[in-house]
Amino acid sequence: MSTQNVLHMVIILPVLAGMVLFLIPRQYFYTKGILACLAALINLVFSVLLFGRSSEMINICVGKELIPATSALQAVIAQAESFMMMNSDGLGRLIVLFVGLFTFVICVYSLGYLFSRTRPKHYFSWFMITAGFSNGAVMADHVLLFIFFWGILGLTLYKLVRGHNSLSASAAKKTFILIGASDGIMILGVALIWHLGYPLSMSSMSITTGNALPVAAFICLVIGAFTKAGAFPFHSWVPDYASYAPASSSAFMPASLDKLLGIYFIARLFNQMFILNEWITLVMLIVGVSTIIIGVMMALVQHNYKRLLGYHAVSQVGYMVTGFALGTPLGIAGGLFHMLNNAIYKSGLFLVAGRVERHTGRNMIEDLGGLSKVMPVTFFAAVVFSLAIAGIPPLNGFASKWLIYQGIIEFGKGEGVANQLWIVWLVLAMFGSALTLASFVKFLSGIFLGHLKDVYLTIKDNRFLLCAPQILLAALCIVFGVFAAEWVIPKIIVSVSGEFSYTGVWESATVSLMVALSIILGLLIYVLFVGKKVRIDKPFMLGEQADHRAGFPVAEFYKTISETPFLRFMYKAAEKKYFDIYEVARGAVLGVSKGLSWLHQGILPVYMIWIIAGLLIMLLIVM
Amino acid sequence: MTAWIPLLVILPLSGAFLIAIFSGMFKRIGGILTPLFMLILTCLGFMFFFRETDVLVYHIGGWELYNGIPVGIHFVVDGLSVLMVAIINLMGFLASFYSVSYIRKFTGEKYYYALFCLMVAGMNGVVLTGDLFNMFIFLEIAVISSYALVAFGIEREELEASFKYQVLGGVASLVILLGIALIYWNTGTLNIADIAIVLKENGDNKLISFVQVLLIAGFGLKAAMIPFHAWLPDAHSSAPSPISAMLSGVLIKAVGVYAIMRLFFNMFTLSYEISMLITVIGAVSMVGGVLLAVGQWDFKRLLAYHSISQMGYVVLGVGMGMVILSVGGSRDVAVLAIAGGLYHMVNHAVFKGLLFLNAGAVEYKTGTRMLREMGGLSNNMPLTSATYFSASMAISGIPPFNGFFSKLLIIIAAVQGGFYLMAILAVVVSIITLASFLKVHRYAFIGFSRFKNKKMFGEAPFGMGLPMVILAVLCLGLSLLIIPFFRDIFLSPAVNTLIHTLDYSQPILGLLP
Repeated sequence: MSTQNVLHMVIILPVLAGMVLFLIPRQYFYTKGILACLAALINLVFSVLLFGRSSEMINICVGKELIPATSALQAVIAQAESFMMMNSDGLGRLIVLFVGLFTFVICVYSLGYLFSRTRPKHYFSWFMITAGFSNGAVMADHVLLFIFFWGILGLTLYKLVRGHNSLSASAAKKTFILIGASDGIMILGVALIWHLGYPLSMSSMSITTGNALPVAAFICLVIGAFTKAGAFPFHSWVPDYASYAPASSSAFMPASLDKLLGIYFIARLFNQMFILNEWITLVMLIVGVSTIIIGVMMALVQHNYKRLLGYHAVSQVGYMVTGFALGTPLGIAGGLFHMLNNAIYKSGLFLVAGRVERHTGRNMIEDLGGLSKVMPVTFFAAVVFSLAIAGIPPLNGFASKWLIYQGIIEFGKGEGVANQLWIVWLVLAMFGSALTLASFVKFLSGIFLGHLKDVYLTIKDNRFLLCAPQILLAALCIVFGVFAAEWVIPKIIVSVSGEFSYTGVWESATVSLMVALSIILGLLIYVLFVGKKVRIDKPFMLGEQADHRAGFPVAEFYKTISETPFLRFMYKAAEKKYFDIYEVARGAVLGVSKGLSWLHQGILPVYMIWIIAGLLIMLLIVM
Repeated sequence: MTAWIPLLVILPLSGAFLIAIFSGMFKRIGGILTPLFMLILTCLGFMFFFRETDVLVYHIGGWELYNGIPVGIHFVVDGLSVLMVAIINLMGFLASFYSVSYIRKFTGEKYYYALFCLMVAGMNGVVLTGDLFNMFIFLEIAVISSYALVAFGIEREELEASFKYQVLGGVASLVILLGIALIYWNTGTLNIADIAIVLKENGDNKLISFVQVLLIAGFGLKAAMIPFHAWLPDAHSSAPSPISAMLSGVLIKAVGVYAIMRLFFNMFTLSYEISMLITVIGAVSMVGGVLLAVGQWDFKRLLAYHSISQMGYVVLGVGMGMVILSVGGSRDVAVLAIAGGLYHMVNHAVFKGLLFLNAGAVEYKTGTRMLREMGGLSNNMPLTSATYFSASMAISGIPPFNGFFSKLLIIIAAVQGGFYLMAILAVVVSIITLASFLKVHRYAFIGFSRFKNKKMFGEAPFGMGLPMVILAVLCLGLSLLIIPFFRDIFLSPAVNTLIHTLDYSQPILGLLP
């Protein structure tokens, strides 16, 4: 098969599968799911095939050979050809590979997850269509083609929430409005590029950001990427989506696909389409680290565990933005690697959250506890994902954060405003990592540790369709972490980011071996010397013997954060949605709308006056 | 092919009288004859896309020149009018087909169809005629029948709306008539092509500027441009839904925007001030309309305000083209802007027509237009819900629907032409449009049912479902107009008619007997 054909397959096959699934009636839900999984598997195979190919520019006009050369349709195709250029370079192929992977894994999970719950209509159809258009967007080289695919993804995202109650309906609405708004702004950016006379193919753009117009174009486009990826201040749809959408679609879109796409576009913007000047770099770094800190600070005080994950989905984007903003091969490699890792553990975490929600029906951490006893597999996966996101070696999250830290240090050697401030970026990034750990302690212990309520005793953790994706993703977390330096970075990342070297080389396999050895050693010591002398006693709390019914109030420990003087003010403001760009804009628009409606009282003479006034004003202008 | 042209007016006109006369004998004649005639007209309209020469002229009565002045009326089929004819009759066919089921609950069916045919005859006449006064006559035919149709429900609300519409429409007609009279006084001819020649020879003239302002106000009122828009929300929301679809979908275009385009491109000499005025009016309407729309809770009223906003896009696109031409800017950019405007006009006919038909189906089944009383309709009315969704995505400019491409053209043209503010406004309005249609989707179609009587509503009948499906398919299908091959057949001739401002006169006067 030629690369062109493989490319067709990864775009057309999922979309076609989605279309076909529309035709199957709703009662054959299981059949639909199985077909979708099959299609996703085939798509994954083609993605892998594509990943093995070499880079080239491909024209995707199909069926040219099938039409007779004299037909009028030939002319149609010839005119469309210039728009239909696709670029299968290393970055694109890598993203397509991961889109394929997540589509398959989450499709399998969805099959188990949705089968016995409220079923969003046409879930699998939209799911597959999303996958196909994502591949299209990633591969597109012409900006207009890219915008076209990208815009459709906003629509499918909306369709995947599909409100079953008023909260999820308004989350869906908010999501689509923000995404749609950013798409509109991106069109403005494209129009500006066109106006400036640059070629419209991404691979040959290289716009210098010298004066106002290119900078405006850059800002327009970067807003699109930030909204999709969920970076501050365009992030506010992510927590809402995560809280109210089905967990499987949260795992699919905001946690993995939208991250892949948004960061993909950031990568293209920062390193290919535009040449950033030092002030833009500075602003982007500020956006990056403030996203890290704001996201994680908000996550810390959440009681709803899905919302907590949503805010982490925001926070992690900050690392990637920081990495790409550095602009050095090391930073790009870090950002790219972190993007992949984040997609793996974050979608894994949503799968965990979905299982917890499904079995318990609760959304609040306070209502849960002790689930590790009945859901061991899920607990194991959750531990791996949590440690990975918190950046604990030897898991993958650490490996990529390490690269980013190294990148920042390396970046500090350069000259420029942003470079001089390297220590600030480094400290904030590391601080964010520590806070992440703190909030995942809450997540893990609140849900899985402590006392198990009696109602949850009957939970079974043995559905293959639900467990297998979690285990697979957890395994990937470990593999990507342990073999980071030896295999993942040189084989996958370097081909995209370019060669680099750095001082603090991280021997991941060796260190992992040491960690494993020390754990085993510790266990041995425990078993041999301590094991028999353990005394089990009843716990005390506040000087009294603790009653096991009193629960395990993990979430309460974090209240001190929201009551710190300055932070209290900020959290109050955040609660009132003063930082939510959507709510602010909504308030302004509706306010103006109310004012204008007040003018329209339905009184005929008033309307007559408007007409005459309009006529007079026009006469005054023209005469 | 020229011989077929008058049929576009004669057929609906005769339909109107046939229905009025014979409906006493055959009760259902209106419901059969109207869709049938409209189908024939649609086919006829599309046939003219494949005409042999660019411009076809039909001389009514074969009048000779009198003192070198063409006194006879003639119909002109060129790129722009054929585009309009196609939209008018296609929408007319679908709306009349839809009416067959919808209008049964009203009394006085026969008047309905007679008026419907009359309105179509008027609109076809407006876009075909090459005579200024004749255009006014046809305009009045179309508009007066629409006054009656708005009042068709004869409840308090409908009558009030119709009354306002009549009064304000009457003012507009007066202003237009005054303008026409002044032109006749100044040039001594009423033939648009001839006037164009005379005006070109006479050069700049204060009186002509005055007339231009009068005509902008008059036709601007018919096109519901802010600040002349106040009649529209009442009229369009009170009319029976298929009529709302016709009013919003084609009437405001045929008697408002078309007239502005035809007269200001092909008759008057383009001037910077007037062009800029039109552009600004378009932009103000675009912004004001959507801001008014987003706060509405009445489904049809919300749609009506969006008509103002969307017509603003059309006028903005065309107006930017005018400005660029008048200052002698890049012709390519002007083409892009005008093409964007015209394309959006075609698209708007389709998606706004569909949206009103959706609103009609919802009202037909549930008896309410208030969004706060609805909910969960996607379960009861899946077809209506799905077609609504595609129309709302189209109007909000989400790919792959047609509205995306036309807005894309307008925005790109605005940036290319240096109208940065307009480009930003176009984007912002598009976003608010999306927000308001998602609001409708949220309150009416998804979530829990809030209806007072909890009985299950079914899907709308087939006669109403089919036009909606056809229009929904068109919402997707019209995206193809962006592809050069289709563009060259349907859109480019219309753009060329406008861009070659004075070429309009040549073939018409040359072909006179």
